[in-house]
Amino acid sequence: MTTQVQDPDFPCSLVIDLPLPTSRLASAASQALRVDKELSPLVRRSFYTLPAAVSNPAEDATLVHTSEETILRTEYKATTNRMLRVAVNGFMESLSVVLGVMEELDIDVLGVDSGKE
Amino acid sequence: MIAIGLEGSANKLGVGIISHPSPGKPAQVLSNVRHTFNAPPGEGFLPKDTAKHHRSWFIQLVKQAMREAGVKIGDIDCVCYTKGPGMGAPLQSVAVGARMLSLLWGKELVGVNHCVGHIEMGREITGAENPVVLYVSGGNTQVIAYAEQRYRIFGEALDIAVGNCLDRFARTLEISNDPAPGYNIEQLAKSGKVLLDLPYAVKGMDCSFAGILSSIDLLAAELKANPEWKDPLTGEAITTADLCFSLQETIYAMLVEITERAMAHVGSNQVLIVGGVGCNERLQEMMGLMARDRGGSVFATDERFCIDNGIMIAEAGLKAFETGFRTPLEESTCTQRFRTDEVFVKWRN
Repeated sequence: MTTQVQDPDFPCSLVIDLPLPTSRLASAASQALRVDKELSPLVRRSFYTLPAAVSNPAEDATLVHTSEETILRTEYKATTNRMLRVAVNGFMESLSVVLGVMEELDIDVLGVDSGKE
Repeated sequence: MIAIGLEGSANKLGVGIISHPSPGKPAQVLSNVRHTFNAPPGEGFLPKDTAKHHRSWFIQLVKQAMREAGVKIGDIDCVCYTKGPGMGAPLQSVAVGARMLSLLWGKELVGVNHCVGHIEMGREITGAENPVVLYVSGGNTQVIAYAEQRYRIFGEALDIAVGNCLDRFARTLEISNDPAPGYNIEQLAKSGKVLLDLPYAVKGMDCSFAGILSSIDLLAAELKANPEWKDPLTGEAITTADLCFSLQETIYAMLVEITERAMAHVGSNQVLIVGGVGCNERLQEMMGLMARDRGGSVFATDERFCIDNGIMIAEAGLKAFETGFRTPLEESTCTQRFRTDEVFVKWRN
């Protein structure tokens, strides 16, 4: 669901919403990915973190934190479909590293303390 | 202090963890793991494929390095990564991983110059006090001497690196790139005897290899067209081993000359050879002959440290970190061009 205004200079656009378990992860992904500039001047890109929509109200008394920004939204726009495809493919490749680190190298997986004194 | 270092500027992805137990004591290598991307014979490694390789090995190598070092995240003080110089896509693929580690682990980032990494690890391992450094690899050829908190470039290759000349000749010969094209040329050269005529391109403190590559490629084409080619002086049959031998003798003599020129200029009699081409035993031998003539010596490391690796990034990074150097996340980019003398070597006087 995008309410993007069409940019006449960059007519080919794509929005990718990536739901993540926590806002910490969404924020980390956004910060890590935004550092590298887009290589081509024919492509523009922006990152946002958004709160998840509450689709299933909780049945029990637990509060659902709707203010947690757990979705990473990436908006790409380019002058041609080819440039858009190339840029988004590059983004997906970087994303694979981001997700891999989250999944297998985070503090709960590797452990913070060595347990020695 | 303990640092993790991540290196991926060319076709090797390296992760190393180093410990500086206390000032004045030698550094300890806690782990140093690496995986190399080799192109098929006759081909070189391209940025896109190399980056893909690094991305697919990143997680596994970091895990392995942590496991072998026996450290947990809480033990690590900083995340060091190669900022440059090198190939764009491979550098960036590793930098993204480094940033994620920094963010999720809550550790600061240190961007490291690849060349300075080689120098600092060479100094640390060999204990050489203030040598002239010959840094020779597939991507770089520089003669470096330290002065007033900078590693100053005294001489360098004007076109392609000496290792690039070797790698591309290996493609011409279509020999294997595994474990490294230069290594396979070295083995072939050992059975070479005939010294063929090649240009000798030393220009003052600098040297040039592109013309030599063209010449050796021409000789290889001649040999392929005429397998019966014989050396006019001795009547011996010319082989690809002779081509490899002639190439090595010529380019290594050039490197020895520019290194000696820097030693005379600076007044040093120690040479430290770093970088992948530094593994070559013939180069070490020739450099040793020159150094001994000057009453000096050659320092070199083994393939764990002279070939691109993560521990050298951790070492140089941790040295910088200990002086207060940090790379803020927004500045944790990569750059293909990063001169060795751009780094302020605060950790030396």
